[in-house]
Amino acid sequence: MGLTGLVAFSGGAGFEPLSTILVGVALITALFRHPGPETALKLDRIWLPLATLLVVRALVHVFVIRDDVVIPVVHLLFLLMAVEALRPLDAVNDIRLYALSFALVLASTAYRPGVLFLVAFIGYVGVGTMALMVGHVRRAAEAHGVREVALGRRLVGTTLALSVVTLTVAGALFLALPRVSRGFAGRGETAATSIVGFSDEVSIGQHGSRIVGNPQIVLRVEFPDSQPSNLQGLHWRGRSYDRFDGIRWTRSRDLPPSSAPASWYQERWDGRVIAQRIYGAALDTRVLFSLHPTLRIESENGIQPLFDNAGDFVYWGAGAPAYRSISREGSPPPDRLRAASDGFRPSRRHYLQLPDLDPRVAALADSLTAGWTSRYDKTTAIQSWLRGLTYTLDLPATAREATLAHFLFERKAGHCEYFSTAMVVLLRAAGIEARNVNGFLGGEWSAFGNYLAVTQNQAHSWVEVWFPRIGWVTFDPTPTGGSGERLASWYWPGRFLFDGLQHRWNKWVLDYDADSQLGIIQRWAEFLEPVAETGPTDEPDGRSGPWAAWLMVLAAAAALWGAIRILRERDSIPTHTKLYLALRRTGMSAGLEIGPGTTPAGLVSRVVERTPAAGVDASRLVALYTAARFGRRPLDPTDIEEMRSALRRIGQALRNVRSAG
Amino acid sequence: MNRLLARLRRTTTEVGRVWRKIRGWRRIRFTSGGLVFTLGTVAVGFAAMNTGNNLLHLLVGSMLGFMTVSGWLSEQVIRSLAITRRAPRAVMVGQDMRIRYEVRNRKRYLPTLAVELIEEGLSEPAFLHHVPPGQEVRAQSVNGFVRRGIHPLGTLTLSTAFPFGLFRKERDIRLPGEIIVRPRTDRAIPVTAPAGGRTAVGGPSAGGGRGVRGEYRGLRSYRAGDDPKDIHWRSSARLREPVVREYQAEAAETCWICLDARGEPDDRAEIAVEIAAALAARAVVEQRPFGLIAPGVHIEPESGPAQLDRVLDALALVDFSPGAPPPAPAVDPGRCTLVTTTNGGAGFGATIPVPADAVWEGP
Repeated sequence: MGLTGLVAFSGGAGFEPLSTILVGVALITALFRHPGPETALKLDRIWLPLATLLVVRALVHVFVIRDDVVIPVVHLLFLLMAVEALRPLDAVNDIRLYALSFALVLASTAYRPGVLFLVAFIGYVGVGTMALMVGHVRRAAEAHGVREVALGRRLVGTTLALSVVTLTVAGALFLALPRVSRGFAGRGETAATSIVGFSDEVSIGQHGSRIVGNPQIVLRVEFPDSQPSNLQGLHWRGRSYDRFDGIRWTRSRDLPPSSAPASWYQERWDGRVIAQRIYGAALDTRVLFSLHPTLRIESENGIQPLFDNAGDFVYWGAGAPAYRSISREGSPPPDRLRAASDGFRPSRRHYLQLPDLDPRVAALADSLTAGWTSRYDKTTAIQSWLRGLTYTLDLPATAREATLAHFLFERKAGHCEYFSTAMVVLLRAAGIEARNVNGFLGGEWSAFGNYLAVTQNQAHSWVEVWFPRIGWVTFDPTPTGGSGERLASWYWPGRFLFDGLQHRWNKWVLDYDADSQLGIIQRWAEFLEPVAETGPTDEPDGRSGPWAAWLMVLAAAAALWGAIRILRERDSIPTHTKLYLALRRTGMSAGLEIGPGTTPAGLVSRVVERTPAAGVDASRLVALYTAARFGRRPLDPTDIEEMRSALRRIGQALRNVRSAG
Repeated sequence: MNRLLARLRRTTTEVGRVWRKIRGWRRIRFTSGGLVFTLGTVAVGFAAMNTGNNLLHLLVGSMLGFMTVSGWLSEQVIRSLAITRRAPRAVMVGQDMRIRYEVRNRKRYLPTLAVELIEEGLSEPAFLHHVPPGQEVRAQSVNGFVRRGIHPLGTLTLSTAFPFGLFRKERDIRLPGEIIVRPRTDRAIPVTAPAGGRTAVGGPSAGGGRGVRGEYRGLRSYRAGDDPKDIHWRSSARLREPVVREYQAEAAETCWICLDARGEPDDRAEIAVEIAAALAARAVVEQRPFGLIAPGVHIEPESGPAQLDRVLDALALVDFSPGAPPPAPAVDPGRCTLVTTTNGGAGFGATIPVPADAVWEGP
């Protein structure tokens, strides 16, 4: 139990090497070789000062540092558990170990543990069931002087069955217990640190090495209605950047309110509506990713989505976001974009801003766009030229080589941020409002879980160009070779399976809420709803009315079976005993003093005292009862009938006395 | 008013009867561990509701699951058991009384584990640590009585805290019966010679030994304690019930024990009863026929262990009271040994008074 508790905590709060290894070694040692009383005495001299120190440390954390108290308390739990494990096994010690391991499992719920917690939890329930059961039987046997307790191997099977029952009940109650709180108490996942791609500030100044891959999954996307045609080409838009200082992209604080609200795209774009249910990881910046253009975002786990001035979606709330996003698929057709020339334009101060640049950049922009008049043609010209360059994950060797000019005119190779930066700068140099956008590109389809898994490796940077009366349109100048998967994220094929489990865990356990409950109830209501008459049709109705009826029949049969079992148990009382008990009841109803301690002979005496006329019958009834019950004399139907008759006469005699009195 | 009170009393009795029936069917009590566990479940449940932390909900679910499993399994453990109780008909004060139980587990798959069988009014339970499915095991409880009388055996309680020791579930089974608790027979008594000049030594005496046969008198029904060698098999077969030969003992050797039951039912009364029991036991050792005279009791003289059983059973039930009638034997008092707590005794062959300062030591 201690080990499973340890695994549950490690799976939840993270692995703290030193303390976890120490307590793990102690628990494993206790599993195979139990130290004697002398070792336990020596340990007693060590652990008490250590425990005192840890208590003081926890108090300091609470009252002085005002820091997280969970870890100091968990260290104290670790120490106590190690000490208890290395003590001789006795009944009290067992209970302490159970309590400590339970406290560890309880502590791990303060975090947002992964699916490893579930594995440890199942193990904990299984081991706990066996430990509690065997421990109880042993303690009870010892208390009654039974030394050898042979429980047999079948007990393992029984324990497994009981664990399954416990887990089933736990699961059912988990689903059924009402979620009345939105729960902001979770401590949240450890924030994922971006190595490449997405962050709140983007720099192209990195140099001297190669971008290292990070296969951590940041988005799991389900498509409840219909799946987009080109999954690898999906741009999961995160955050846009308007200000470039030559090295870094940042966001201006004085941006005017969004130039293109969601309603704009609702009315002016006509692509297919794509619904996405997105389960995000907790990143270092609270951004909601979605396909562009996003029409609407609804929270699914208590976060509060916000629409900022740049048109990006961010959120309030702790933990990992889960939300439903509605977007339009694709972009407007080229003809429409080509025709978009007049109309509102967003803040030029922000979206045409340029730093001091190498004069060759402006010249390049002029040369690339010289032959074109429309925004669209100029944009595609620049995009086409950039796609002719080389994609590489190797960073420039020096800071001088990390500049945009060096990328465009000398190195002519770089990663996505160079391409997007170059395109925005060239567009702005050509007088076209544009901005840099970061997010993720594509993803890996998990057939096991039917969702798109997007990893940090798929972090990407692209461009949004303003088209009057249409809005911001996505363009991606990064060469095709670099737009797809560029870093091995699925190097472990089993990860599909594992991540599918993780996704289900997040979806059905960690993020389970009142809405999910409502959904289940609605599905059941639909399942049980009787088939409605909707007019003649040749197609079979997909609903399962007859199944619901069968389910009810089964439930009724189960209830009947249970009732029959109870009745049968009562019927197992022999008839002679029933008749004797009936005599007692008759006497009690007549007001005779008959208590639990009244013997059969005493019962006869009471009856005789009240009415001597019933004495013979009472004696005969009791004699037959005692002969059958204790003398093992079989009673034939005549005897039973005699007992019944005697009982009737006794009842009548007692009633006569009562009415006479 | 009286009628109303009577009706109220009847209603109360009826409610009490129904309540006892309900409680007798199943009872659940917390153990100390179970109380802590339940309070912990409530606390974790409160935390879960308050924070919305789903893992706490899962934990509460599993704790309630443990409780459900505990309730279901404890129910299974104490049901479908066929219990046969083998209790002695009578036992002597101070001696160990062993009640044996034959318990058959009628369940097909589930064993019965860690069940206590508790007799109402007895302190020591029997314990079943493991009854495999479909098999029978035996268990016994050992108890002792400190006072003579009749101990009713009414309710046998099956009690278990299985599987986790969190709750104790109990089920009552009605098994009416009784045990006669006989007085001790090893009390030291003075040498008396009520008739025939026979003497006896003081000190403990033991039951047993064959009775004096004397002349053959006839046949009678078998009684518990009769020597099986006296069974007349041919007649038993003919009459379809066991009958034994009865012999006429010599009148000169008959010992009549007369117990004076006047007085408070205190320690001295118990001493008087034990003296009478010791006299009977001594008569058995001396192979003399003996009879007993006490208020409402007149046992004709016979000899042997069966007669001792009859006398001890009667002595177990003798009630002392200041208003009890004086001893009036139907035979010549001169042939009787009177045991009394009062000063009377004139005319009796021998008198054994219980001293006023005598203290009953108990078993």
